[in-house]
Amino acid sequence: MPSAIFRSTPVRLTVLLGAVFGLSLVITAAIAFVLVRQELAARVDQSVADTFAIIARANTDVDDLQESVDNHSAATLDDDSIYLLQDASGRRLAGNVTTAGFAEGWSTVGSDTLENAEPGVDYRVLSGPIGQYRLTVGTNLSEVDEVAMLMLTALGWAGAVLVALVAVAGVFVAVRGQRRLEQISSTMADVGRGDLRARIHLSRRNDDVDRIGRDVNVALDRLAALVEGMRQVSVDIAHELKTPLNRMGIAIEGAIESNERGADVTPMLEQAQAEGRTINSTFDALLRIAQIESGARRARFTDLDLAPILENIADAYGAVASDNQQSLELIQEPGLPQVHGDADLLTQLFANLVENGLRHCPPGSSIIIGAARQASHLVVTVSDTGPGIPEAEREKVFRRLYRLEKSRTTSGSGLGLSLVKAIADLHGARVSLGASDPGLVVRIEIPVARSA
Amino acid sequence: MRILVVEDDQRTFEYIRKGLLEAGHVCDVIEDGTDALAHATREPYDVMVVDRMLPGLDGLSLVKALRSAAVKAPILFLTSVGGVDDRVEGLEAGGDDYLVKPFAFSELMARVNALARRPPPQASAEKTKLSVLDLELDLVRRTCRRAGKDIELMPREFSLLEYLMRNEGRVITRTMLLERVWEFHFDPQTSVVETHISRLRAKIDKPFELPLLHTVRNTGYSLHA
Repeated sequence: MPSAIFRSTPVRLTVLLGAVFGLSLVITAAIAFVLVRQELAARVDQSVADTFAIIARANTDVDDLQESVDNHSAATLDDDSIYLLQDASGRRLAGNVTTAGFAEGWSTVGSDTLENAEPGVDYRVLSGPIGQYRLTVGTNLSEVDEVAMLMLTALGWAGAVLVALVAVAGVFVAVRGQRRLEQISSTMADVGRGDLRARIHLSRRNDDVDRIGRDVNVALDRLAALVEGMRQVSVDIAHELKTPLNRMGIAIEGAIESNERGADVTPMLEQAQAEGRTINSTFDALLRIAQIESGARRARFTDLDLAPILENIADAYGAVASDNQQSLELIQEPGLPQVHGDADLLTQLFANLVENGLRHCPPGSSIIIGAARQASHLVVTVSDTGPGIPEAEREKVFRRLYRLEKSRTTSGSGLGLSLVKAIADLHGARVSLGASDPGLVVRIEIPVARSA
Repeated sequence: MRILVVEDDQRTFEYIRKGLLEAGHVCDVIEDGTDALAHATREPYDVMVVDRMLPGLDGLSLVKALRSAAVKAPILFLTSVGGVDDRVEGLEAGGDDYLVKPFAFSELMARVNALARRPPPQASAEKTKLSVLDLELDLVRRTCRRAGKDIELMPREFSLLEYLMRNEGRVITRTMLLERVWEFHFDPQTSVVETHISRLRAKIDKPFELPLLHTVRNTGYSLHA
């Protein structure tokens, strides 16, 4: 369990964040310490130089100098400062140290080189000539060290409090994040067990976890709809196949009876065969739709002209239409742009639409295929003067095996428009149904090829 | 004809073998793709019928291997998946025709016959005139005559007649016509073929004494004297 907790992203982030905080605190403290020390040292130097100037200003009279140095020496507490006045030969005239002398100018000396000095503390010393005498003034650096120490202590405490707070906040965030992740994980486990209604609970914060949660929920909605669709389709397929299977059974039974009577069984067997073909063509269409929907065909797309495809269809079905006392006409704009697609599938798409018109329209109807460019799309319409489709039913006709109630009795698998939709979707084309008063207009908008 | 059938489903190959033997052909059946490759590179066949799904070597790889081994015999693919992709893949692999299961034997036979008598590619280009009895088709001038009388044909009727004449005496199925003449690789719900055949018949047969275009019941059509 502890290793599991450490593998969780929020906990790892918290630990990482804490470490980064601590490290940056140490670096900041070190930089501040160095800067403050430098600043304090500069101030000490300034104060030593000031004192030196004050004493020097007194004058060059040796008694005055002596007095001034003595006064300063006397005012010194705890050996904080050192003063020394020497004559040219180095003999001490006044001051609180007895050392032989100091180097000219600025120097830092350890307390071990001095008498009457605070042990373990360095002194900052300025030594220079005043007339024929030599004056030395110095101050110890204990104050600098004390301030620096104080600062380090303060930073240390602040750091400790900060790290503690980060740790507490981190654990809080980690536990909460962990809990939300666990909730997502348990939701997905429910889904995995087959409960497609399970959804991830979203907070009101709308943060990244919520965004992922929302995406997952949307995907689950779609999945649930798909599964429901599949379930519906399997039920529909079962129903669809029951009729021909039933008829086939009857035909075979009839054939057996006829055979026993010694009568001709061929017509009945032919009927059974025809029913078998119906079943097969339903399966074929379903498999084809599934294959088209898988999108693999897109790899074979080429830029192609729709005109010869439409002409071929008009030619193939024109004769069928006139035999049915219907008319089929193709009206296309000259110089249509190319589209990116699959010629076989597009042929089937338009053939299906024309066949729908031929089969559902009474004699005397006319069917018109129109093709024109509209901006970035090639729009092909197949319109007829038949009974049309009621508006409420127009979306449903794309569903697999859906048939209008009144066309239940006519032939056809109820898969023609599903196939049309699948092929159109594969080509990124939009299919819409409308009324042509009277009749039906099917409109296919195919994006023109990029090169066109 | 000597025909090799590569198919692992026993019922299917028994059905095919029985039909081919009855039609007077010699038929060998091999159930495994790898065996078929070894056998077909040694023995000369007039036509091969190859299932797409085979144990050992699948049908597609088998045909590719045969073609790269310079085996030129025409090949008919069989498949249970009625997809367009499979057809294109099969043809690209070196197959010559394609038949989707379940199929009627007459369809298989018609296709095997059409494949077997397919002339070599260069020969077909040389032929500019086709004739059956007193019916003549000029492929260059796109004209049709019967018994010395000019017959006016629509472009598609011309292709339909050309295909039937090239396969004189052979049964051509409705599906074969749809594929070759209209490039329809699906099963139309309306009588496209029947309509065009009857129109063609009205032009080339009706005005004359002897009919040339015959309907073969439950199968298709055949053009012969």
